[in-house]
Amino acid sequence: MRHRSVAVCAASAVAAILLSACGASPNSQSQSGGSQGKGGGQVAAHAKKVYDKLNSMTGQARTDELVKMAEKEGQLSIYTSNTDIDSLINGFEDAYKVKVSVYRANSETALQRVLQESKANYYGNDIFETNSLELNVANKEGLLYPYKSELRDQVRKEGQANGWTASRFNVFVVGWNTKQLKTSDLPKTIDGFADPKWKGKISLELGDYDWFTAMYQYYLQSGKSAAEVKDLFSKIAANAKVVKGHTVQGELLSAGQFGAALSVYSHTVDKAARDGAPVVWDPKDGDPVQPIVIRPNGVGLMKTAKNPAAATLFVDFELTEGQKIFAGLFRIGSIPTTKDPLQGYQVISPPENELLTHGKKWDDLYSSILEGGEKVDN
Amino acid sequence: MATATRSERPPRRLTVARGGRRWWPTPKILIGAGVALGIGYLAIVPLYYLLWGTFFDDKGFTLSGFTRAYGNSRIGELITNSLWFAVGAAILALVVGTALAYLNVRTDVPFKGLFFAASIIPLVIPGILYTVAWILLASPDIGLMNKAIEPVLGPGFFDVFTVWGMVWVEGLHLSPIVFLLMVAAFRSMDPSLEESALMSGASRTTVFRRVTAPLVRPAIVAAVLIMTVRSLESFEVPALLGLQNGIFVFTSRIYLMLRTYPPDLAAAGALAGGLLLFAVVGVALSNFIGRAGRTYQTVTGKGFRPRPLELGKWRPVAGAMVIVYFIFTVLAPLAVLLYTSLLKFYQPPSVAAFKSMNLDNYRALAHMDKATTALKNSLFLGVASATLVMAVMAIAAWLVIRSKIPGRQIIDQLAFMPLVIPGLVLGLALSFVYLRSPVPIYGTIFILLIAYCTRFMPYGMRYAVTSMQQIGSELEESAQVSGASWWQTFRRVLLPLLSPGLVAGWIYILVVSFRELSSSILLYSPGKEVLSILIFEQYENGQFTVLSALGVVMVLTLVVLVFIAYKLGAKIGLRDG
Repeated sequence: MRHRSVAVCAASAVAAILLSACGASPNSQSQSGGSQGKGGGQVAAHAKKVYDKLNSMTGQARTDELVKMAEKEGQLSIYTSNTDIDSLINGFEDAYKVKVSVYRANSETALQRVLQESKANYYGNDIFETNSLELNVANKEGLLYPYKSELRDQVRKEGQANGWTASRFNVFVVGWNTKQLKTSDLPKTIDGFADPKWKGKISLELGDYDWFTAMYQYYLQSGKSAAEVKDLFSKIAANAKVVKGHTVQGELLSAGQFGAALSVYSHTVDKAARDGAPVVWDPKDGDPVQPIVIRPNGVGLMKTAKNPAAATLFVDFELTEGQKIFAGLFRIGSIPTTKDPLQGYQVISPPENELLTHGKKWDDLYSSILEGGEKVDN
Repeated sequence: MATATRSERPPRRLTVARGGRRWWPTPKILIGAGVALGIGYLAIVPLYYLLWGTFFDDKGFTLSGFTRAYGNSRIGELITNSLWFAVGAAILALVVGTALAYLNVRTDVPFKGLFFAASIIPLVIPGILYTVAWILLASPDIGLMNKAIEPVLGPGFFDVFTVWGMVWVEGLHLSPIVFLLMVAAFRSMDPSLEESALMSGASRTTVFRRVTAPLVRPAIVAAVLIMTVRSLESFEVPALLGLQNGIFVFTSRIYLMLRTYPPDLAAAGALAGGLLLFAVVGVALSNFIGRAGRTYQTVTGKGFRPRPLELGKWRPVAGAMVIVYFIFTVLAPLAVLLYTSLLKFYQPPSVAAFKSMNLDNYRALAHMDKATTALKNSLFLGVASATLVMAVMAIAAWLVIRSKIPGRQIIDQLAFMPLVIPGLVLGLALSFVYLRSPVPIYGTIFILLIAYCTRFMPYGMRYAVTSMQQIGSELEESAQVSGASWWQTFRRVLLPLLSPGLVAGWIYILVVSFRELSSSILLYSPGKEVLSILIFEQYENGQFTVLSALGVVMVLTLVVLVFIAYKLGAKIGLRDG
């Protein structure tokens, strides 16, 4: 009998939980199209007041007020895809009395999270810190608030984007294994890898369609026809071993699985070289393979930040102390320094607007070229 | 086949109690309804989201997702590659897993201690590490195994970058699921059936083919079903091994569909729809086979004590097989990880490499303040989801196999659905629902718990159903005749008998929950990190050596946990019969 009543209790509890959960299930998707709710209006109004005040100030007065307000807020929530975020946060928390919480994912997922939350009027973060494409989408969706300061004015032109500010650049370079290749073996430019002698010796990455788009546009502008550019990259793809993920690509490059990786990050190569791996992209006895593709990563203030002053302070920090931290991690900061590692080289960027509106088209083209690579192969 | 059943049986009694003495529903109905509702809720939320996204866009009903998904001249080739790979991996996993389970449970094979490690460790090692370990072992260019045998067989003897290589790695990585399923099945089998066959002069192979294999057919079907769907969905192995030689599979398309902005949910849903169809047919087939009479009910009122079969002169051969398997699935990949975890960067073994070894990567782990939190959260989620899923699935399996409720098959189908839902879609569906829920679940660890229960429900269900199919109904019938309530019967008779299968499922869920990333990454919140998130971060950071160290630590943690579970499971198992 006792068992029976226990069972009844358990079952009723289950039923109760289920009922409450069912109440939460979506009746229609139409909700997801909704924008600002009433609660959000208040949050956004407060954030706007703070942002406007800070954006209108300059010099030491701004800094003092900013620190005071930020420390009063006392906390900050960041959604990011930045792999070096921990070093930044340690520095920030040491400098200011602000407690930082971080959500980190790959850039596509972080963007999904921000979009999902904003559509449901849930305000999880104060700062969105990620790659240019995702930041552009967030800005297009009206989620970001402009950041103004003297620091922003110092950022490289391509980094002063609408709605957000670049803090560093991802630099796609050709890295090679020095045990397998001498500097003199390498072509001067990317198109040299179309030569069949590179068969099986080079690597492309599955998702690097932004790198591909930049290269494609570059060769179009240098006078090739669209068909010629496609042909060029089909030949390169036919020589290439396709890998998913830059980390595995970097690791396999160090291990000698292939001689050269065409779109590896410069900081991956530099870090590995520091640890003693036989890899290089910018050799002492010559020039790197060009063009080099740079793509900004940056930071945007959320329009609905609960801690707008702390958010602004963090952007300031990324553009000051943060720049030194990035340099220590072999990253290329967005504020030019006297010792620019890319000085004198042919540097190109992906066409941001084109990728924002027609990203799918370029992704499809790149994957069909990669998939087509095997046709030539067999 | 008739050898497997006992001929004289009491006439089947209606197992659904008629009405009740009182006007309110009995606990059986309440619990049953609760379980059915729970499964339905967990499965339908993401499924609804997936189907909605597949068939509707801003303008209303559309089938354009299908055009984008399948309207590609190469889709045929992709599907062929996928099937080839999936079926190959499933067969390899099945053969290896079954053979080992049989040797372990039913024979006096030596080195039984190794089975424990061999059944768990490949499951623990994250797919990406396991695959890279195999590249470092069997790449024609840099593989250590190739270097070792080069003097004898020439360069590049093993080539992991082929369909065969993919089948090999995936098959070995999956074989523990089969092993766990089959161990449970063999444990619940009366060996006297085999012994009678042997006495009557049948050879050992004939006995295995004609008696043993048919008796565990439900488990075999379940294993094939899970294996095939799993390898059709698998992306890590094809991405790392197939792409290098241009072998593209079905799932690489799903990956591409979801990675651009906006994610093409319609096309991804259309692709997942193909898998869904496959899964529905598979589950129906598996129940049809499992239901064919009482053929598979090997746990009956007649007591039995499993006695190991003496292998005789084959004992050393079987022993050698075990050692070889252990080396391939556990020792070699783990050794590569351990070796890498002690280096500053991966390099082939050399005097210089060994001289440079140190524990820096482990120190880096110890300094990661999130590591302890993540370990704690992963432990909580693993234990909680494994326990919840197995408890609920035990009842669900009873509903599906024993009850006579119309439409009970739907429960089984629903419980299997989440297997085909891409992790990101599950994450999106759950965040959509709980961002709008009045119950504050979003941003807590419970949203992860819900995600894990959903994702692992299909495995739990297969483990529970397979075990349930082996238990003779006369046992519960006698309990009820003796006056036990349904709940008492379930708890005192069925649960102990199901325990080998339930423990196996529990262990499986615990172990794979440590690796779950695809839905966790969207749903976790600051302070609620799990181990797979840390692995992802190290991976993104390019810290392959630290990642290897993390892999080694995870293997050790789970081996200890699972060892405890096995010991407890063995204790429960002793009360059988």
